[in-house]
Amino acid sequence: MSGTRGDAPTQRHAGHAGCVCHAIDTARVLAAVGSIDAGGNVLFVGTARGTTDGAVTHALNYDAHEPLAVATLDALRQDAIARFGLVACVVVHRLGTVLPGEACVAVAASAPHRAAAFAAAEWLMAAIKRDVPIWKAEERPDGRREWLHPESAPRPGGG
Amino acid sequence: MLPSDHQERSPTLRIAVFAGMADLVGGRTVEIPWSGGTVADARKLVAERHPPAATLLARSAFAVGSRYVADDVSLAADDDVAIIPPVSGG
Repeated sequence: MSGTRGDAPTQRHAGHAGCVCHAIDTARVLAAVGSIDAGGNVLFVGTARGTTDGAVTHALNYDAHEPLAVATLDALRQDAIARFGLVACVVVHRLGTVLPGEACVAVAASAPHRAAAFAAAEWLMAAIKRDVPIWKAEERPDGRREWLHPESAPRPGGG
Repeated sequence: MLPSDHQERSPTLRIAVFAGMADLVGGRTVEIPWSGGTVADARKLVAERHPPAATLLARSAFAVGSRYVADDVSLAADDDVAIIPPVSGG
């Protein structure tokens, strides 16, 4: 594909996607989508809740099929860039143990105008929860661990 | 020759498992004897060997490398196979 503007032919694919086993630097995620072509920059950060439906969560534990998760996150990121006309997009998901208040996932999108950036972040989060082979377990204060495999979830990849 | 020698040489399919599936089978991989077959055949063998995992397995997809595969796809013993239960990231 030829360049979209000036001397930046790869601009449409700007950004990155990945999984990390350490704290997500959300300021850096947001900074990574900054561009003089963008007028709207949205950062969504999903954080671990300390309670769900009244039950106390000591920690969340994330497992993943990492190569497939990274490939899927990047495919969704590129899809979002194309669908919403983004300038740049970054997606980072944390793996391993995440304590309440810490970030589990961060999505940043920049676009010429804010509507596209907001819509892209919302669309990406729904797609991540639906399609990416990452799983969370809720660790209870008594040490019990419950993996979440939603009944209503379709098979990833369409089965 | 030791009796275990023969066992070690018989073709085996190693399948990576994750999350609740790993808890149900008691490890990060399951191994099934494999002389060839499809994803559907592998499902049946895993369910027979690990009955507690059968219900979740029925709701799970299979992947080879970084691609999802349908039940009619053939698997070779050296394929990088994984079971993908319903996801809950984010």
